[in-house]
Amino acid sequence: MGRRVAIVGVGLTKCSSHRRDVTYPELMHEAVGNALADANIGFDQIDAVVYGSMDPFDGVFAPERWNVDACVSAGFLNKPFMKITTGGTTGGSTALGGYYHVGSGMFDVVLAVASQRVGETLEAQLVLNTAIDPIYERWIGGGAITVAANQAVHHFHYYGTTEEDLAMVAAKNYANALNNPYAHLQRHLTVEDALRSRMLSWPLRLSDCCPSSDGACAIILASEERARKITKTPAWVRGAGQITDNYNVGDRLWFHDWDSLAMLARRVYKQAKISDPMAEIQVAEPYVAFTVQEIIEYEALGFAEPGRGVELIRKGVTAMDGKLPVCPSGGTLCSNPIGATGLVRVAEAALQVMDKADKRQVPNVKTALAHSWGAAIGFHTMMILDKEAP
Amino acid sequence: MARRVAIVGVGQTLHEEYKNDRLYWELDYDAAKLALEDAALDKGQIDTVIASGWDAVDGRTISDMHTCMAIGGYLKDSSHVGEDGIMALAYAYLRIVSGQFDTVLVAGHGHREASFDRVSNAVFDPLFTRPVGANHITSLAMQASVYAHRYGVGQEAAAEVVVKNRANGARNPYAHLQTPVTTDEVLNSGWVASPLHALDCPPESVGGVAMILATEEGAKRITDKLVWIKGISWAIESYYLGAKDLSQMPSLAAAGQRAYGMAGIKRPLEELDVAEIHEPTSFHELMAYEALGLAEAGQGRRLMEEGIVGREGKLPVNLSGGCLSTNLLGASGLVRAAEAVLQLRGEAHGRQAAGAKLALAHGFSSPCGAASPTNCVVILERG
Repeated sequence: MGRRVAIVGVGLTKCSSHRRDVTYPELMHEAVGNALADANIGFDQIDAVVYGSMDPFDGVFAPERWNVDACVSAGFLNKPFMKITTGGTTGGSTALGGYYHVGSGMFDVVLAVASQRVGETLEAQLVLNTAIDPIYERWIGGGAITVAANQAVHHFHYYGTTEEDLAMVAAKNYANALNNPYAHLQRHLTVEDALRSRMLSWPLRLSDCCPSSDGACAIILASEERARKITKTPAWVRGAGQITDNYNVGDRLWFHDWDSLAMLARRVYKQAKISDPMAEIQVAEPYVAFTVQEIIEYEALGFAEPGRGVELIRKGVTAMDGKLPVCPSGGTLCSNPIGATGLVRVAEAALQVMDKADKRQVPNVKTALAHSWGAAIGFHTMMILDKEAP
Repeated sequence: MARRVAIVGVGQTLHEEYKNDRLYWELDYDAAKLALEDAALDKGQIDTVIASGWDAVDGRTISDMHTCMAIGGYLKDSSHVGEDGIMALAYAYLRIVSGQFDTVLVAGHGHREASFDRVSNAVFDPLFTRPVGANHITSLAMQASVYAHRYGVGQEAAAEVVVKNRANGARNPYAHLQTPVTTDEVLNSGWVASPLHALDCPPESVGGVAMILATEEGAKRITDKLVWIKGISWAIESYYLGAKDLSQMPSLAAAGQRAYGMAGIKRPLEELDVAEIHEPTSFHELMAYEALGLAEAGQGRRLMEEGIVGREGKLPVNLSGGCLSTNLLGASGLVRAAEAVLQLRGEAHGRQAAGAKLALAHGFSSPCGAASPTNCVVILERG
């Protein structure tokens, strides 16, 4: 990277199944206003905006246009603005877009924002089905949950993971979400409750699956010089990247391992000079839309050997009081405003590095990991944030 | 700026009314393949790809699942802009200048699988403007109407832009419409939305376009026909049609000024040799002259009258025929940049401007016409 980039402000909104209390621009204003307040800067200091959302889930096409005045403020228009859409990774791609904006040297302070109002959609899975090839795969009902169910079935078959393991992931993340005032699902869930919840797509039960949420998120990225002026606690980007895997689900050789994520992790760890992720990372916010994915992600991200991911959940290693807390915010399992979710992962990781995560704060965080996946498990993004400049 | 960026390959398909043997991402594939052949590169030599376009227009959620693969993105660090392809070029530029990537391929496509009129209506807010039928063309008509009224620009003046561009398009073997038209034909082509006649509006074309960008070091290894990006900027404007002065294009003016500043251009009309302007209607080409500082406010038509922007003029504009001859909804801006590159390389054949050294390419990235368009301006120089 040409120059160092840091996150200097974070703005989240409360997520719920339908934010009827605000219009879409008002929802955006909530996120952007919170980020500006966090960084204690005004609209006039923003040099450029990167915006992410997955239009087909919104009931309004290209919502960034409707929301542009809320992002840049009516008095500060005619600024550079770029829309990014990459499925479930949209939020992660938006953070990366902001990273390259600042890294290029063309812009010093950049606002990365993402939003989604899945509550405007009749049924998110029907929309997702339109991502699937209309001739070969759409008719079998392809979508996020069916692909994730495939992952679970394969993981059960090859590695002996069980429904109880998935229930333990759900119970952990639900408990974490109770500490997060922005989370959509905020209720107590035991392993027994999870195992009794309704089956949706075998072996995934209701509690194994994320909700669909309305929500938005904004982060402010800055160059080194500006970052040090804006905040005493910048979250430095130490490594980042994304990867695109093949399109047809049926062309994949694997479901139990996440090869494309493992490949991306190797690249990003190399950039971040991380050789032992388990020892060098203190908190992780991977994108866990379905419980089984957290276990597969432990393995792909190098926290455990392939097939050994379940041990981390069984032994409590990834619980709030464990060695490597995973999803202290409750994660995607408890809030999923689809296009914004990847950016929420980055924002949560940044809050941990900045020591601003309040009740969900993990003690002594130096390095945090954020991840998102999308596009029928074909896309991934990653970002490593650190207290120290790289 | 730390690194210089060059365009080392361009590819475009023939642009046509229909291509019944192609799915939309195959248009990106065809164009990407042509760009790779142009640069004599293998897809393995491309570090990252940026796809473009609007999911709702493509009729496919996460359209880049297909387009990124089609342009060689498999297992690469790739992304997608929900904008005209010109913004993929902007993102590619940022990715190279940041130092993370050395070669980037960008692509875009236009097709007719969706009704852009209907889809663009869904961009308008569901409470106030959507119910009255606002869409890209009606909002552009409102803007043209305000502009024409304020500066006394007649329909004939706009029709002359159509005559110029269609005559240019007749010399471009890639153009969708290759037949010249007369002023009378434009004025008698029937109303679409006053003051726009059918021929004041671009067609909807089917085709693909792609471009390869590289660092200075890499570019010099790849080709002798270098084209440098000397300046680039983009800007968005307000969404509410009632909340802004529609007779101006302030986001284009802002992007133009910044791009000129980067390229060290002080008198664009004197310094530029050729320009490719993305004109979503004939009136908007006149407005763009003014926003880009080529003419005073309201005086854009003088450039037409004095022949300055004609084929033999001081600054020929849209020698390719412009959008009025070829319009890929979602990639017309990238076509403008590709055509500008061909001009600078001296490879524009029948539509070539003599000795072009410095070119301007403009993209109007908007799913909703005059409501918050993103305007991108790129200044290109022959190496």
